[in-house]
Amino acid sequence: MTEFGLRLAISLTQIAAVMGIVVITVLILTLAERKVLGWMQDRMGPMEVGPYGILQPLADAIKLFFKEDIIPAGANKFLFTMAPILCLIPSFIGFAVIPWGPNQTFEVGGITVRPFVISDINIGVLYILAFASLGAYGIILGGWSSNSKYSLLGGLRSAAQIISYELNVGLSIVGVLILGGSLSLVSITDAQAGGFWHWYLFALPAPQIFAFVIYVISAVAETNRVPFDLPEAESELVAGFFTEYSGLRFAFFFLAEYANMVLVSCVAAALFLGGWNAPYPGTIMGFIGLPSLAWVENTMWFAVKTYSLLFLFFWLRATLPRLRYDQLMRFGWKVLLPIALGNIVVTAIAVFIYQQMK
Amino acid sequence: MASTTRTKRLSLSAWLKTITFYEILVGMKATLSHLLNYRPVTLQYPHEKRTLPDNYRGMLALLRYDDGTEKCVGCDLCEAACPSRVIRVVSAEVPGEPTKRYSKEYYMDMTRCLFCGMCVDACPVDALGMTREFEWAVYDKRQLHLNKQQLLAIGDRSFPVQEKRLELQHPNVAFFNVAFKHVPPKPD
Repeated sequence: MTEFGLRLAISLTQIAAVMGIVVITVLILTLAERKVLGWMQDRMGPMEVGPYGILQPLADAIKLFFKEDIIPAGANKFLFTMAPILCLIPSFIGFAVIPWGPNQTFEVGGITVRPFVISDINIGVLYILAFASLGAYGIILGGWSSNSKYSLLGGLRSAAQIISYELNVGLSIVGVLILGGSLSLVSITDAQAGGFWHWYLFALPAPQIFAFVIYVISAVAETNRVPFDLPEAESELVAGFFTEYSGLRFAFFFLAEYANMVLVSCVAAALFLGGWNAPYPGTIMGFIGLPSLAWVENTMWFAVKTYSLLFLFFWLRATLPRLRYDQLMRFGWKVLLPIALGNIVVTAIAVFIYQQMK
Repeated sequence: MASTTRTKRLSLSAWLKTITFYEILVGMKATLSHLLNYRPVTLQYPHEKRTLPDNYRGMLALLRYDDGTEKCVGCDLCEAACPSRVIRVVSAEVPGEPTKRYSKEYYMDMTRCLFCGMCVDACPVDALGMTREFEWAVYDKRQLHLNKQQLLAIGDRSFPVQEKRLELQHPNVAFFNVAFKHVPPKPD
């Protein structure tokens, strides 16, 4: 009993910490996106609330809490209520297997605790992909249950888009899985230690540069971001699948989109950019004689990589116009899919030859 | 499904540009340069306001002479000149002086006004003026149906010196622009 209670307490603490970090990151992102977009378009972004507008996310949250929550008369009430939650849970649940920092352990009351990953399951990547595709249910059910034609169109577009790009995400990761020889994100990250030339983006037998490009493009498409924001196309579909949503339910969709962005950036950082590993061998903290503080440096590198990828999302949004629907599907199926398959073949052959030579 | 457009044969450089997303990279370079050389073109509106041009056409107002009498003689020319029928004038005789008229009631529906300034041009006695006020957002559209008192109040706060373009007035016109009680001698 006590051991079970202790395990439960440790797990809940870790989950609360990770959830807190994710929610704070999302709050930062909502401000950062508006600021970065403003700066790139010679505007200022939010400036009113607090100095330089830094309290804007707080004001947004308060506003969303107190807005009137409307359920349309013809809507399916159960699904209308469930859809935002169905959207939110899969995007949060993936964070359980992301390693935030070095693979350290310590003992608490006879139980081994890994502070920087909630759970190191040996099908981690598969788990994330499976739950990421569940998010499509939330979107399409939200579009359908609103009983509005525009919302339904947005939901259907989203489903078609997510299905076609989910495949490319999966296939672009396969090259990394061949190199890493594992599905666990912890062991994949550990295998990339020792300088940036060991990251799978540049790793020797088969650099995964094409896979990385495909992954980033597909991740942008999967999170419904510009230039692939067809489900939300405000000039065609009002606001897409969440047209009829207001107040806190809309906030859930919003939160899910940003949490998804953070999740795909974390996965890209862990799989292609070495995760928490520094781009030089060892750690500076270890070099100056403070090896117990190395985790600060390592988590900082993970944050830097994740936030750079998130900045790339904003950068793309400030630059590119929206793609037409047939262009999007053609690009996904006829261009990205063959390249991803070719990448798998080339990687497999290269790794085979490399192992035979050794 | 047969493709409706013929696929063009790409040259080597065009092909290279396509596979490296060259044009997207050029665009991203442009946005990044705007981020690095950040120079906002916007103003923080309620805190800073731009200087308006001299001929800015803002809110309409009715004007007075220095002695406080109204300039408007109720001639209806502004109503006739208005393309969107913003103005309605009800003119009446000045009590006790059958040759003189004034505007008994004067309404403006500013929800329709497009600030063309034709009423100001049409007014023979310069009783109408365009102020530099532009912050007229209201919660109820009915607040934009202005009556004579409101229009005079706008004129009073926007033109503290009531004599507007007096040197341009025709002397015959100026004959009508007199106070109701003090009729000056005819200029001869």
